[in-house]
Amino acid sequence: MLKTQTFSLNFGPQHPATHGVFQILLTLDGETIVKAEPICGYLHRGIEKLAEARTYTQVIPYTDRLDYLAAMLMNMGYVQAVEKLAQIEVPERAEYLRVITGELSRLTSHVLTTGVYALDIGGITGFFLCFREREKMMDLLEEISGSRMTVSYMRIGGVADDAPEGWLDKVDKFMDEMPGYIDEYDALITGNEIFQARTKHVGVLTQEQAISYSLSGPVLRSTGVNYDLRKAHPYSIYDRFDFEVPLGERGDCFDRYRCRVLEMRQSLRIIKQAIEQIKEIDGPIMAKVPKMFKPPKGEVYHEIESSKGILGYSVVSDGSNKPYRVHVRRPSFINLGYIDEMCRGWKVADVVAILGSIDIVLGEVDC
Amino acid sequence: MFGRGLLKGLQVTWKEFWTPKFTVQYPEEKHPVPARFHGRFVLDADKCIACNLCANACPNRVINIVTAKVGTKKYLTNYVMNIQYCLFCGLCVEACNKDAIHFSDDFGMTQYFYKNIPLVLVDRVAPEAPPEDAESKAPADATDKAAKKTAAAKAKGTEG
Repeated sequence: MLKTQTFSLNFGPQHPATHGVFQILLTLDGETIVKAEPICGYLHRGIEKLAEARTYTQVIPYTDRLDYLAAMLMNMGYVQAVEKLAQIEVPERAEYLRVITGELSRLTSHVLTTGVYALDIGGITGFFLCFREREKMMDLLEEISGSRMTVSYMRIGGVADDAPEGWLDKVDKFMDEMPGYIDEYDALITGNEIFQARTKHVGVLTQEQAISYSLSGPVLRSTGVNYDLRKAHPYSIYDRFDFEVPLGERGDCFDRYRCRVLEMRQSLRIIKQAIEQIKEIDGPIMAKVPKMFKPPKGEVYHEIESSKGILGYSVVSDGSNKPYRVHVRRPSFINLGYIDEMCRGWKVADVVAILGSIDIVLGEVDC
Repeated sequence: MFGRGLLKGLQVTWKEFWTPKFTVQYPEEKHPVPARFHGRFVLDADKCIACNLCANACPNRVINIVTAKVGTKKYLTNYVMNIQYCLFCGLCVEACNKDAIHFSDDFGMTQYFYKNIPLVLVDRVAPEAPPEDAESKAPADATDKAAKKTAAAKAKGTEG
């Protein structure tokens, strides 16, 4: 038999399929992957360190820059952690606005992932199709917060501003239209034969592996593990809504993608219910928080279910107006930990499918 | 059946082909922006009392304020925003007590030269003396106060 030699191939950091500045050092035997070494840090900005030199409120705009595709959820995790630390009770109307905007943000993130994943596999129409709805949702976010991507909408003790007049009806109307759009994605992307051939039974993950690597979000749920923080440990007002946790069966790339599409439909349900309930609630949108905000000495860890998985904030306070230490548990970074074993034995083209199915955002990976 | 996926895909393409188009002929045509849009900053210099609240609220230390003393009051002479470091978070707008700084809907802020990027919102020279109306108002206030004081003293005296 012919003697072969393994060789290294740099995948990224400037490859469009790595979804940002991310490098994988692949060791190949022919075209088969022997080892995949993820190399991150190209987008490291030291946000955790920057937070130590800013007041608690001033950290909020930096959290936007972590997962910039679901910035509202990044805000939410941080402000809730600080509120837990200072034991601030948030007004009901603010909680509802947080849930509505947060779920809208989750939708924008999942819609983008769906489109980008189709592009990774080779279907550019799916990419354009998904951007159509993403733009509409970003218009809604822009109307309430003033920004499209890095929203900085949430504040410690509430939200920056109440919903403008007619905004809730606009969202409600769009939520009625959205299932039709998701049906289109299903028709064009999910049902596509090439897409299914490229993703089914590729990069399979077992339940034990997913749990032992502490993976979370749709990546974990695709293996059939029923763990969604919104259900398991309801935070905010998520216990008031009726929704399901979509689960996968095989834990392959297709299931990971499918979980996200199904999750979109559940987000729509949550938003519809929240809009119905918020109409009966009138009141302030901010708790009484002093301008010179100084939480008591102590330490807190708070986690929420972001679009990528479990997002946790660990905040240490020394009693001053600036946090002593902030650490972020970023789901993208932790989900990436299993990439090596997921890629082994597959071909170079499958790396694109596997990496896309994990749904990483480099702002969050490098922090 | 082989090829069904292709037909399904083409079905969507066919439907999409006949839907109205979203393309906007920028810059001739512009999208309307919502009222809360975070565009270029605008400062109402008459309202500004140079209290530095906006500068202190900024996470990136973008705002530079220079004041001069005119009489007993602070006078704003320079208000510069190093917009290249701005996060457009709106914390400065929120911090302003006098509603002096706010966002406009102008988003065309590109500059050809780096030195032109900082946004100079106020650049003026401080007057040497306080404005006349303030001067004329001050003694009037003082006489008012004095009159009130004597009236109060009188009232006290009659009571006693």
